[in-house]
Amino acid sequence: MSSAPAGKSAGGERGRLRERRLAIRTAFRTASLPALSSASSRLPPLPCPNPNPKPVLFLLLPLLRTPPFSLRRFSSSPPRDNATSSSSSSYSLPFMEKQFEDFRHQLDESGSVRERIRSVVMEMEAAARLVHSSLLLVHQSLPVLEVLEKTKLQIEVIKGLFGRLAEILRERPDQYYRYHGDWRSETQTVVSLLAFLHWLETGSLLMHTEAEKKLGLDSSEFGLDIEDYLIGLCFMSNELPRYVVNQVTAGDYDCPRKVLKFLTDLHAAFRMLNLRNDFLRKKFDGMKYDLRRVEEVYYDVKIRGLASTESTQDETAQA
Amino acid sequence: MLCFFLRYRFLYSPLMATAKHQRLHQIAGASLAGSAKKPKTMMDSAMKEEFAKHADYLNALNDKRERVVKASRDVTMNSKKVIFQVHRISKHNKEEVLSKAENDLASVTDQYMSRLVKELQGTDFWKLRRAYTFAVQEYVEAATFCRFCKTGTLLNLAEINASLLALSDKDVEPLQINVLDYLLGVADLTGELMRLAIGRISDGEVEYAEQICKFVRDIYRELTLLEPMMDDNIEMKKKMETMLQSVVKIENACFGVHVRGSEYIPLLGSSDPDYSFLGVPDFE
Repeated sequence: MSSAPAGKSAGGERGRLRERRLAIRTAFRTASLPALSSASSRLPPLPCPNPNPKPVLFLLLPLLRTPPFSLRRFSSSPPRDNATSSSSSSYSLPFMEKQFEDFRHQLDESGSVRERIRSVVMEMEAAARLVHSSLLLVHQSLPVLEVLEKTKLQIEVIKGLFGRLAEILRERPDQYYRYHGDWRSETQTVVSLLAFLHWLETGSLLMHTEAEKKLGLDSSEFGLDIEDYLIGLCFMSNELPRYVVNQVTAGDYDCPRKVLKFLTDLHAAFRMLNLRNDFLRKKFDGMKYDLRRVEEVYYDVKIRGLASTESTQDETAQA
Repeated sequence: MLCFFLRYRFLYSPLMATAKHQRLHQIAGASLAGSAKKPKTMMDSAMKEEFAKHADYLNALNDKRERVVKASRDVTMNSKKVIFQVHRISKHNKEEVLSKAENDLASVTDQYMSRLVKELQGTDFWKLRRAYTFAVQEYVEAATFCRFCKTGTLLNLAEINASLLALSDKDVEPLQINVLDYLLGVADLTGELMRLAIGRISDGEVEYAEQICKFVRDIYRELTLLEPMMDDNIEMKKKMETMLQSVVKIENACFGVHVRGSEYIPLLGSSDPDYSFLGVPDFE
């Protein structure tokens, strides 16, 4: 077993010891420890080398020697030495130790799984950032096809990274949600980027199964969580007002109508959901404001007659 | 999170003037109503279908979460009752108090834990963990408390899980308490043991208190190694601090008896209030 839990930095180690020292001091203060001059014969001997040396405890030893008497109580020597001086202590120490040793192995493993996941997620965040920065070019009226070209590579990278996550979790089936928090926000970002790109390309909404396919995910194994997908869509809608404004400035007066229709439909679809007061609900509430702003842009364009005559004819025909 | 910063940049539209605000809202409302009258396109119905599925998924998830929360509340309440029952132990009624406590614990397992077991399976173990973790911790606390009072040993996780296996159906993956909830429950156990130890001392059972003291020390020692390795260990960190205080309280109480024992042993076992074990002298 590694001598210290994976990923512990030297600074973290010192910080933890400082915390422990503080915790001990606080504990004494609250437990109103009385002054003691002579040590009772009952006190265990000073820390002696533990048969299974754990470096963490050794680091505590200097701590144990300098402060007053009472810290001797926290010696690392096995309490078997005490057993003789008091009446029958019938608990089975080796049994307890064995269980906790198993736990240490288990938690060590899960800790290292988490480390691996975190490093993959960091790469994913970097790739998502690159996609986002390319995507920002649409606000400067770069043609959609070019933007799609630029982002294609990074999306492949992201797909590969999800594949690595899936592989890590294949060893631990059913623990998707144990580690889910580690990739949740990156997934939401990625979904919002993909949905926006999809809309720019096709004018339609990226469906959940399509999103899964694009990312190489499989709902029976490592899938795309539905709430992550929905939150990703809300993030995408946050981009639309700004896009519409810039498109109109650049001279595309048709855009507001299309965006308005899309966002209205999306908002209506979301209204079918029964949301409780959580993060998704908050994001959905934000969509309402995006919709309002797009409506305002559409109105501004319409009353000035800037929208193309084709579209106005459509509307009068259907009204 | 990257997303948040990106979102809130877009709050101010250059086109919006406050004077137009009111009119805009009225007309926006009208245009919204107008667009609703437009005929539905193909895309629309596909979206509707999609979201109907998502609505079902979310409803099912939330309903399940509700049921888990309700079952958890029952488990928590009744486990606490078991713990209070065990605290009634005194020198004379140990056997009957413990047997009643065990019966109560068994009924908690059969009636309430079984409901949790039936609801949770597969990935939902971890997905809904926040909903049931406190209940499971309380249950572990009660079960380990009973076991300690009976035999002086720590009931281990494998045993508790074996007893839960009996509750679930054969074809369904059984709820197994995970390491984290078990350890958090054991951390809470030390608090109850502290109360028990102090109680035993004022009842005169000093050796029992010392046994508790050793036991709690061992648990604390083992948990200091595990605490940094636990997922999201903020809760455990707080419990470690409380645990240390419990350990010190028990040790001080034992110390108080040993140093001042000759002074107040006659008072032990009497119902006179006596706070000398706190280090405050009862009389000069």
